[in-house]
Amino acid sequence: MGLLKDLTLEMARAVVNESEQVRVEEVEGASMIVLELSVAPGDMGRIIGKEGRVANAMRTLLRTSAAKDGKRVNLEII
Amino acid sequence: MSNQNESLNVSAKTVDEAIEQGLNQLGLTRDEVDVEIINEGKRTLFGLKSGEAIVRLTPKGQTATSPSEADPLPTDEAVSQEPAPSEPDELDSSEPDESAEETLPVEAQVSEEDDPSQIAEIGKEYLGGLLERMGIKATITTRVAPDLVEPDESPPLVLDITGRDLGILIGRRNETLQALQYMVRLMVNKEMGSWQRIVVDVESYRSRRRHSLHQMAKRMAERAVANGERVVLEAMPAYERRLIHIALRDHPAVFTRSIGHDKNRKVTIIPK
Repeated sequence: MGLLKDLTLEMARAVVNESEQVRVEEVEGASMIVLELSVAPGDMGRIIGKEGRVANAMRTLLRTSAAKDGKRVNLEII
Repeated sequence: MSNQNESLNVSAKTVDEAIEQGLNQLGLTRDEVDVEIINEGKRTLFGLKSGEAIVRLTPKGQTATSPSEADPLPTDEAVSQEPAPSEPDELDSSEPDESAEETLPVEAQVSEEDDPSQIAEIGKEYLGGLLERMGIKATITTRVAPDLVEPDESPPLVLDITGRDLGILIGRRNETLQALQYMVRLMVNKEMGSWQRIVVDVESYRSRRRHSLHQMAKRMAERAVANGERVVLEAMPAYERRLIHIALRDHPAVFTRSIGHDKNRKVTIIPK
């Protein structure tokens, strides 16, 4: 895999100010992939977005992407 | 918000069942409510019905769903959208007021000093990067698209994705395509330092959808006039509701209002 992690990194880096502080951990289960995303404290607002729009857009794209392989995905911003 | 006499949406296998269930829930009789059929349930070839029928019951003497209570109308987007002009708007409708499209905000136009071909290149690169990481093989073409906006609006730059089996990129209620567009806009705006009017499309889905919404609006307006009753359309995202409002703004016999909140916001076509 790794593509979902890459996708998360790509999207997150494009949104935040401190792109070098973006970290993504991917934990793959049988049917569920968990992506743990962390960013610089000052970028939390940017990564979540107004009313969660950025985070939701990222989740939608990750879900679409994972669905092709019959997987579910959970993006956690920590 | 008052729940007491709000109208109630009920779904069931048939319209009659839905009405009955709704009346039971409300504790009212058929004479005491206005019934709007939102969805009749789909009919298959053999006349069998599949899909849920949906009706809305509004207690008579109530104006629960009137726009004035549902929320103060044309500021449709204002509920869910930030006024900040520097942030990309959710969609193609860049104005907070979906029915007042006369003046386009400056920030919604491709600014003159930015080179459109440069924006196209950046957008294409980002979008290509996203698609690649989504494991999708596709081609991206760019064009300026006057067919996606009203004649008095400045045409957006479109990144059109073409390829095989791209239905997943549209998603339920266009959700995936919107997410893709949102991310591309964020990326390009950040890169350019200014708001760019960019549309992401799949196999010209948006222009086809635009056309079919337009046709549907006209049809439903005719129905509203013929029956002398308002027609409530299914819930749509903001820019699609906007298209309906615009399609019917000069209609001699109906006017339009949006009712409901957030994802359940619906256009109502009301005979004058």
